[in-house]
Amino acid sequence: MTASILDGIVLGLQFGVLAAGLTLVYGLGGVLNLAYGQIAVVSGLVTLLTMEAGVPAVPAALIGLVAGGALGLIFDLTILQPVYRRHGEARVLLSLLLTLGAAFVIDGYLNWRYPLRGLNLRITGDPLVVFGVRMRMGSVVASGITIVVIGVLYWLFRYTRLGRAIRSVIQDEEGSRLVGIDPQLMMRLILVLSGVLAAIVAITRSMVAPVNVRAGFSLTVLGLIVTVVGGLGSIPGAFLAGLVLGIINSVASSYIGTFLSLIILLVAAAITIVIRPTGLLGVRE
Amino acid sequence: MSGRAVAAGTSLVAGAETRVSRSLPRLFGSIAAVGAVLAAVPLWVGDSRVRMGVAILGLAFACYAIGFNLIFGSTGQLFLCVGALAGVGGYGTALLADRVGVPVVAALVLAALGAALVGGLLSWVAVRRSLGVIFAGIITLIFALSFENLVLGASTITGGDSGIQVSAGSGTFLRERTTAYYVMLGLVLLCLVVHGLLRRSRVGWAFRALRDDEVAAELAGVDVARYRVYAALVGSAMLGLAGGTYALIAGRVSPTTYGFAQVDVVVIVMLAFGGIGTLFGPVLGATVFTILDELLIELGQLRLLAYGVLVIVLFLWIRRGLIPTLAGLVRRKPGSPPGTAPDGEPG
Amino acid sequence: MLEVEGVSAGYRGSDVVRDVSFHVDEGETVMIIGSNGAGKTTLFRAVCGLLPPSSGEVRFLGEDITGLPAQKVVRRGLAFVPAERHLFPQMTVEENLMLGAYPEKPDPDTLETVLELFPRLGERFRQLAGTMSGGEQQMLAVGRALMSQPRLLVLDEPTTGLAPIVARNAYAALERLREQGLTILVAEQQVPLALAVSDRGYVLENGAIGLAGTSAELASDPRVRSAYLGVV
Repeated sequence: MTASILDGIVLGLQFGVLAAGLTLVYGLGGVLNLAYGQIAVVSGLVTLLTMEAGVPAVPAALIGLVAGGALGLIFDLTILQPVYRRHGEARVLLSLLLTLGAAFVIDGYLNWRYPLRGLNLRITGDPLVVFGVRMRMGSVVASGITIVVIGVLYWLFRYTRLGRAIRSVIQDEEGSRLVGIDPQLMMRLILVLSGVLAAIVAITRSMVAPVNVRAGFSLTVLGLIVTVVGGLGSIPGAFLAGLVLGIINSVASSYIGTFLSLIILLVAAAITIVIRPTGLLGVRE
Repeated sequence: MSGRAVAAGTSLVAGAETRVSRSLPRLFGSIAAVGAVLAAVPLWVGDSRVRMGVAILGLAFACYAIGFNLIFGSTGQLFLCVGALAGVGGYGTALLADRVGVPVVAALVLAALGAALVGGLLSWVAVRRSLGVIFAGIITLIFALSFENLVLGASTITGGDSGIQVSAGSGTFLRERTTAYYVMLGLVLLCLVVHGLLRRSRVGWAFRALRDDEVAAELAGVDVARYRVYAALVGSAMLGLAGGTYALIAGRVSPTTYGFAQVDVVVIVMLAFGGIGTLFGPVLGATVFTILDELLIELGQLRLLAYGVLVIVLFLWIRRGLIPTLAGLVRRKPGSPPGTAPDGEPG
Repeated sequence: MLEVEGVSAGYRGSDVVRDVSFHVDEGETVMIIGSNGAGKTTLFRAVCGLLPPSSGEVRFLGEDITGLPAQKVVRRGLAFVPAERHLFPQMTVEENLMLGAYPEKPDPDTLETVLELFPRLGERFRQLAGTMSGGEQQMLAVGRALMSQPRLLVLDEPTTGLAPIVARNAYAALERLREQGLTILVAEQQVPLALAVSDRGYVLENGAIGLAGTSAELASDPRVRSAYLGVV
């Protein structure tokens, strides 16, 4: 049982980072990025190709992060511009449709040019014993990185001027303009950040299981579900929901089959959404 | 504001009701015309088994698109479970007919009803909890994924990954390519008739009213909740019926027959081509897409890239869908600005 | 310091204010009075960068700021406190004030001045802005604007939703700021309060300037007296 819970936590932390990127972009700009999973996959692929070119793992991973951030920036500068001109529900819908198109473009290209490729970072080292359970080194490192990321995000948003500025745009956009903050610039930064987070998802996930080029949509859908359960716009919600759903999934899988546990996860998510549409820790409306 | 709303609502009623009786012959006429054109297809591709298969699938997708159009285009409910609802129809028909021994037609009807119930339930839940578009989308997406996983997981019943053969309907006219095509075409025309009649009825103006301005519609007396569920019930029934019929024709169902990536995504692209909210848009979109997909088959995965570009371009610049806009360009007087869609579709 | 010339602005193609001109000199306190719907808010939003004017010119400290977005306007020294305040509800008083100084680091002396002016903010320093009373929120909104060390403070109906005694306190604070030399522009429905603290004023009616003059002149004008001071 402890083993499944720990596995669930490892999985949950990944869900959390996955959802954090999506929820940030929604919380700030009212935009849903359906190509999020593709950004993760591209970053993973960039890391893979860089490593194949001879670059050692850590710098290659950093290059992957840069790729993720760059892709986020490109999204902001191109297809999201028309989206920003709409407001409210029209904006969300248009963002869904346009980013879906972008997801097709990326997916189509990747699967054509690099079919069946996948990033698989094998972390060497003997299994570590945590709370009496033997955990693979990959899981431990992945979780460690994720926890560091959570810490960095927390520090960023709570204690830096920039983080406060970003939070202010989420809480009251007009108010933020009145104090000299440029919401569009903040949005751009958040999109870069979400791209970097997507890259982190790909890299850490690949330490546990391979992330291949076809994983884009499943990652996005998973992220979307965790995001909504945690509350759109809430980063703590994203991680909380991630952990809860991760543990549910993991515990269920060890007692029942994979498919059924996935269904349980999905149904649990659906129930949460229906009972509490604002999510566990929802911020926006 | 309320005065304006009531005025808007009542003018919609007045306008719609005068249109009802006048245009019925025109409706049937245009549907018959479309039917005639599509009926000619086997004359070109009848000898190629593969091409006939593609054509039949194209017609099935036309039905799916009409169903989705009815639910999303008419009442703004983002149902991302088109494939799954068709799957309820498909797997339902196959299992009821083969395993339970229900007569084929009854199995089909029951399965379609099942799909209708599921769709109606999803809509009812979304409406009761006042879930916005995204949430409704996510709930239906969750249903779609659950269905897919259920089918994959319960492999003893559903054949899991590889699916099952559908013995019901084998040896009948359903398995004969040409007759199967006409059966599917008949279904398309039926869906068009149903949708067309709905649009011209009281139900139709209620749909338009609530899509254009929900608050105004409520004030004008439209029970938004009820009409949303109606649309979902009818649309889902169409999806289930189409899915079931296709299962009987194809002789085999598997998770990929009704998967999200295979069905929902394609339907959205089709509606991008043909226009959301119009009657013939889905058929147009399905036709264009099916032909395009076949022409580009050499490109393999790159097709997805092409569709992605098209979706972006189409939803960015041509809000009503490619064909209606081109038609509008032809009809519009030179010098007047391109109007926005009168039936304000979302997005 | 602020010159507004022939500004028209509105929403969805139709103008709410038409061809409005006024000016504010350094050290003055100027009021714009008018009843509900006269267009005061639209005018201020157009001047302060929240709404692009359809025509006209706005010059601040000699520079043309017509149509410049609010985030740039405040960096030039013009701080705007709208009627809705637009505070950050899930942030503390401290965080709201600190953000007022964005992008600079908050100046400790300025903070001290603000807390001296509004001691209640000091008491509620770590309280969430959204949980405070109307009067306290108004204080915070003004305090936040002051943190940017503005040359000109613009307030739109600062007494909205405030009880009379709280409104009087708000104007007492404005009086103190005025004594300290701050240039103030205020739009107000509650004319007696504004009259007491202003040097000059303009009357806005149906989107256009009807009357203008010193506060003394306006206070004794029979039209102002009957329309806004309740004197028959």
